[in-house]
Amino acid sequence: MAAGDLSWGRRYLCCRPTHFGVLYEINPWMHAEVTVDPERALQQWEGLVATLRAAGATVEEITPDAELPDLVFTANAGIVSGSTFVPSNFRHPERQPEAARFAEWFADRGSTVEHLPPDLDHEGAGDALPFGADTSAATPILLSGYRFRSDAAATTPLSALTGAIVRPIELIDERMYHLDLTFCPLDDRRALCAPIGWDRYSTRVVSSIVPEPLWLTDDEALAFSANSVVVDTTIVMPHVAPRIGRQLEAWGFDPIAVDVSEFLKAGGACRCLTLALDVDLSAAPRS
Amino acid sequence: MAAVETFALEGHIVDSLILPKVLDLVLDSGSDYRLLDVVIGRSSTDPSRALIEVTAPDDEVLVALAEQLQVQGANPLDSGKATTEPAPADGVAPAGFCATTNLVTEVRIEGHWITADRAEMDCVLVVAAGPDGRPQPPAVRTTPLHRLLEGDAVVVGASGVRVLAPERTRGLTGFEFMDSDVSTEKPKATQLRALAERLRAARAEGAPVLAVCGPAVIHTGGGPAVARLVRAGWVQVLFAGNGFATHDIESAVMGTSLGVSVTSGAGTEGGHSNHLRVINEVRRHGSIAAAVESGWLTDGVMHACVIAGVPFVLGGSVRDDGPLPDTITDVVEVADRMRVEVDGVRVALMLASTLHAIATGNVLPASVETYCVDINPAVVTKLSDRGSHQAHGIVTDVGPFLAQLADELEA
Repeated sequence: MAAGDLSWGRRYLCCRPTHFGVLYEINPWMHAEVTVDPERALQQWEGLVATLRAAGATVEEITPDAELPDLVFTANAGIVSGSTFVPSNFRHPERQPEAARFAEWFADRGSTVEHLPPDLDHEGAGDALPFGADTSAATPILLSGYRFRSDAAATTPLSALTGAIVRPIELIDERMYHLDLTFCPLDDRRALCAPIGWDRYSTRVVSSIVPEPLWLTDDEALAFSANSVVVDTTIVMPHVAPRIGRQLEAWGFDPIAVDVSEFLKAGGACRCLTLALDVDLSAAPRS
Repeated sequence: MAAVETFALEGHIVDSLILPKVLDLVLDSGSDYRLLDVVIGRSSTDPSRALIEVTAPDDEVLVALAEQLQVQGANPLDSGKATTEPAPADGVAPAGFCATTNLVTEVRIEGHWITADRAEMDCVLVVAAGPDGRPQPPAVRTTPLHRLLEGDAVVVGASGVRVLAPERTRGLTGFEFMDSDVSTEKPKATQLRALAERLRAARAEGAPVLAVCGPAVIHTGGGPAVARLVRAGWVQVLFAGNGFATHDIESAVMGTSLGVSVTSGAGTEGGHSNHLRVINEVRRHGSIAAAVESGWLTDGVMHACVIAGVPFVLGGSVRDDGPLPDTITDVVEVADRMRVEVDGVRVALMLASTLHAIATGNVLPASVETYCVDINPAVVTKLSDRGSHQAHGIVTDVGPFLAQLADELEA
């Protein structure tokens, strides 16, 4: 295995931050009194999209909605697996209307939209990332965070809908409220891992799944280092800490920092602003 | 009071360490668990499923734990909730009422398992409302039919009702090998020592012991031994009938039981009416206690009960002579008195009594350790057949057995 082996991450769905703002507070990073500079936000977002495209990714867009400022965080749209789309069941009422918008977008493009039971919360790819290095090498594992935004019990229907092995990961630090703030798969063997966000059982689970983890210090984790996007060998990060940068380069990756500081005000960075469209959890041959 | 709830956990619970995490949470809360069922998925994508029965020290711990477990995806099994219907008239239950067993019964009300106040077979469950109309402890009363009042909320159907399986005490108590069929072919000395050991343990725990005596106890010469046990504080409550009390008093006052000398075994002249004369004297005194107080009755089991302050319930029957003034002839009242007296009893001795033993078995919770001493194995079987499955049988002649028991206990 080598850098660039990640089988997905070349097609993304993003949402232009026309209506982005911190209008409510649903995570510890959000403060309604903080003002977002719309112009800067747009520049930063365009910079991110340009970087993704330059790395070789295709980026599609969903129409922004004045009522839904967090629509820009497309990672929470739902779970993509091949031509199946499972829209999120958002925990907070503020974001719940987003689900229908995303479902519509996917249905319009021919995806089969499957729903989780309505009584179970799950916030999509923001709380569930695939990792390929299962012992059987063929069955993908979906790591799914739970507690703050998603329910542990949602892992069972998620597994049934996608065919993936779903490993629930308990998130214990409210600042790391989504799994994608604590985990970033780099290829079939490596991942950025922020144990600050996990309980000891989950840390053991990740250790057993990821052969070569890059353990993030608490400071690195709280700087959103794991909220990065991997396109082949390019890793688009909100911030490249020198130690991490050196290790990634040693592995053959090309870490690039893009400024997403306006979005950090809402508790989201690079990964949160993207939804990978080319994930296929069912395509791999079943063991 | 321990609180029990069953949780279901499903998904990839083994490799994800969710199952050990849940079990750790249970233990950390001071609760215990039993895995009722674990199904491990065959392929790596198959979900696994575990059924976990959690026993918490009390309801409060269970509620807090349930919240933690739900975060981990473990949900309480839907046990339904109890439905009630009002009793249509005094002493009449709504059709479809839930009939009780002698096991501890719990009723699910407003999301909580409420334990019924008593475990008694063949009763109905009444949910009592507090002043604010909400159930309050003891919210569930085990009620015999005749005690129902019109409008009582009677539990109907089986939804939201569960009985807790009894925990049989196992170990080298001398009785574990006696749980087989009742048999005459058992080593009596071992059984006797084991019973004595159980009575010593009951005394150490401060657990009341109930003796249910048939007239054969007196006929076979066991009366003095029972009196010794009562005097020495080995018996805390006594149930019998008119016959037992009569013959006990007859033997104490006249030396005969049904006219036969309890010492020589010989018949005595005019002895057939001895018991009637004794009954007549007690009736003259007004009660057994009054007969003791006046100095007329100076010995025997009933005398010992009066002196030691051991409460007794004498249940009457159609066959009774007299009866003694203490004999309660209203059978419904007898049963109610017995219900009051069995409260707290932990060990019951059924001594050569068939009808009173079965009557007592009817009001005893299954948790009461019951020892049935009778020369007829059919009595133990009969007791078990009527639902008192907890009865241990000792098939032997009750008179000599009781004398040995009193000796063993140094009564």
